[in-house]
Amino acid sequence: MQVVGMELPRKEDIVTARDIGVVGCQRCTKVWPLGTTRCTRCGARVISRDRLAYQRVWAWWLVGLICYIPANLYPMLETRTLIASQADTIIGGVLTLMGHGSYGVALVIFVASVLIPVGKFLAIAFLAISAQRGTRSPSLQRMGLYEIVEYIGRWSMIDVFVVAILSALVQLNALATVTPGPAALFFGMSVIFTMLSAQSFDARLIWDAERR
Amino acid sequence: MSATPPPVPIAPARRSWVERISVVWVVPIAALLIALGVAWSSFADRGPVIEITFDTAAGVAAGQTELHYRDVVVGLVEDVRFTDDLSAVIAVVRVEQDVAPFIDSSARFWVVRPEVTTQGVSGLDTVLNGVYIEGSWDTAAGEPRRAFVGLTNPPLIRPGEPGLELGLRAVGDTVLNGDTPIFFKGVEVGRMGTARISRDGGFTIAEAIIYEPYDQLISDATRFWDSSGFTFSIGPTGAELDFTSLASLVGGGVTFDTFVSGGTPAQDGDVFDVFSNDATARASVFNASDVDPLEVSVIFEENVAGLAAGASVDLNGLRIGEVTNLNGIVDEARFGDRRVRLIVTLAIQPARLGLPDDPTEARALAFLQERVAGGLRARLATAGLLTGGLRVELVNDPEAEAAEIDLTATPFPVLPATESDITDVTVTAEGVLSRISDLPVEELLNSAIDFLNAGTALVADQALQDTPEELQALLGDMRGFVGSDAMQNVPVLMEAALQRIEAVARQLEEDRAVERLIAAVDATAAAAAGVPELVTELNALAAMASELPVETLITELTDLVDAAEDVIDTDDARALPGSLAQALAELQATLSELREGGAVANANAAMASARNAADQVAVSVQDLPRLLERMNEVLAQTSTTLQSYDQSSDLNRSAREALRDLSAAADAVSRLARAIERNPNSLLIGR
Repeated sequence: MQVVGMELPRKEDIVTARDIGVVGCQRCTKVWPLGTTRCTRCGARVISRDRLAYQRVWAWWLVGLICYIPANLYPMLETRTLIASQADTIIGGVLTLMGHGSYGVALVIFVASVLIPVGKFLAIAFLAISAQRGTRSPSLQRMGLYEIVEYIGRWSMIDVFVVAILSALVQLNALATVTPGPAALFFGMSVIFTMLSAQSFDARLIWDAERR
Repeated sequence: MSATPPPVPIAPARRSWVERISVVWVVPIAALLIALGVAWSSFADRGPVIEITFDTAAGVAAGQTELHYRDVVVGLVEDVRFTDDLSAVIAVVRVEQDVAPFIDSSARFWVVRPEVTTQGVSGLDTVLNGVYIEGSWDTAAGEPRRAFVGLTNPPLIRPGEPGLELGLRAVGDTVLNGDTPIFFKGVEVGRMGTARISRDGGFTIAEAIIYEPYDQLISDATRFWDSSGFTFSIGPTGAELDFTSLASLVGGGVTFDTFVSGGTPAQDGDVFDVFSNDATARASVFNASDVDPLEVSVIFEENVAGLAAGASVDLNGLRIGEVTNLNGIVDEARFGDRRVRLIVTLAIQPARLGLPDDPTEARALAFLQERVAGGLRARLATAGLLTGGLRVELVNDPEAEAAEIDLTATPFPVLPATESDITDVTVTAEGVLSRISDLPVEELLNSAIDFLNAGTALVADQALQDTPEELQALLGDMRGFVGSDAMQNVPVLMEAALQRIEAVARQLEEDRAVERLIAAVDATAAAAAGVPELVTELNALAAMASELPVETLITELTDLVDAAEDVIDTDDARALPGSLAQALAELQATLSELREGGAVANANAAMASARNAADQVAVSVQDLPRLLERMNEVLAQTSTTLQSYDQSSDLNRSAREALRDLSAAADAVSRLARAIERNPNSLLIGR
């Protein structure tokens, strides 16, 4: 039995579980011999490489993208005051804030609502394509990118949080009312679907890609 | 140590397509389907586009302005653009599918804007949310229409709204306030729309609606009247302030009542008259006849004030109708000049004409035609002397030129008119008043004030206060002088003296003393031959001569002269010129004062008195010249007579002196008399 040393693995030295004929449970991390289909400790399904993961990734990714379109087309926030009613889309809100000189807030919203979601779409697509087709980019960096995507996913909801808090706080009947627009729902769904997409990705495929 | 793991059983890649395709794909497929479904359904549900043309599009914005029907949003303005010639604005409205079939030719559209009127505030929500387009259409689907013309104001009667549609016509001086509520016993039961002028300009008319179920209240016996404003009257029962409600006081309103029962219910489109107040409306019920009044026009050449709508139309003193309308008319083609004539519309009640059988409009007209052929003419007459009101009178004028009713005239037949019989008290009174007003009252008052001021000063003046006394004293003096015995006696005395002289002279003449003397001398000369005789006769003659009453004569003459001297020498006579001068001076002073004071009346009286006095003086004095002439004659005779006497005798001398004095005195008097005669006024004015 080859013992993995404590030294930092080099590219050539990286040995996958599959290489040594084992498979790890994705839920409870118990290692089973290759071919085990169910973890007897936690009952989860055990599979060494999930080839359907790509389909799930792409499916969720597509739904997320579909939801992201109306999230940008419909108004995010409907502000109704005594004298005026305003409905702003995400980009429209950013532009309005810039017009009012609030560049900081505009930047935060732009980053949280446009840059990050778009970046996630791109990152997930890149990871999936590179894993499927093989790439020359280092696996470690791609692994890091995957971790960033997964970590940052929950913060994509910042815009939805803002809408939710405003809608809850500003309910002054006739004087001023803030209600979430349809874009908030789509945006939230888009975030959820992209998170599902990221989670569906089997990170182990990153390591296989380099082998081809 | 087993180094070799057991071989991994690799299952053959023979898996069904179900296993090879993730079930997750359902989600994007579902999402796509949903999206497509939503898109298709929204496209399919999209209603048609209608175009509404407005004069202005104030507040109408594309993508924001909504179309409301019964305050529910049924459409949205998609575009606002101009017509091709920029004359109007077209709002392109996408309406909802389910209401689209109802938007047919019955549809009306108008823009709801905030409005503040005396009736209240409406459209307040549009202040905050912007204007919206309100649509109204009936509840029956019809032939769809896609182009409409928007209304400027909300329609009074919305299509499909139940209610009784009426026309309300203003009668007389009633003013129809547009867009006001109609009340019945204080309840708003309808609305009256904006009033407009009838085509011939004779009256105003407004459409009105009575809401269900109040339309049951309206019958042909119903009378409407204007309840806006208030009436204030003071009568025997005290002061009365009357207004229907505060709302109608401010905003106006029309109310109605049905004073008699049994009328037939009103139909849509009926036209009712709106009277100016309750009383006239009530009166009209009982005055009206069942037959429509015959309306005829009369054109009067005069255009006089005083005739008003409601003035009576009389025939033989009976009221047969009233004036419903009057207008000026200028028709150069018809009358040949551009004068304004008075065209009066008369409503004649056929029933009042006393026609046999069934009185109708046509019968009334025929009757009038017949009468006009017999000389019936309309004229203006005075209704009341004091009020100056006029009425129209139909009178028989047998001298009138032949004329007939012009049936072709529009809108009503024209009845021929004749010269008016107007007793214009007002004009006379106006003349008097204008004359009074033309009086220089201001100047008069100013003069009066000045005069009174001067009079006050004058009266306050001591000199004037003394004047009457002085004048009186003067007049008293004059009267005393004139009436004094001495003065009165002057002529008497003189006459007496002259009579005596005359008597003497006559005596002398009678005695023919001189002739006798001459005869004696002649006799002496004749008897000269006989000297002794002559001497004897001479002695005798001398004795006779000495016996002549010459001494008596002398004595008498002396007396006369003395008496004359006495007269002349009297203080009164001597003082006469002085007194006169003094009186004249005083008169002059008085007159100058009077002239300054302007108290002419007094002065006139005084002058009259003075002139009387002067006249008396003049009368008295008039006799003087004659007297003096006679005195002169007598004196001349006397002196001639006396010359024959001893000229050196004392008697002669004294007599001559006396006579000279007398003649000087007489001359003085005669000068004075002449002066007075020449200019009697000098006695008064001192010149």
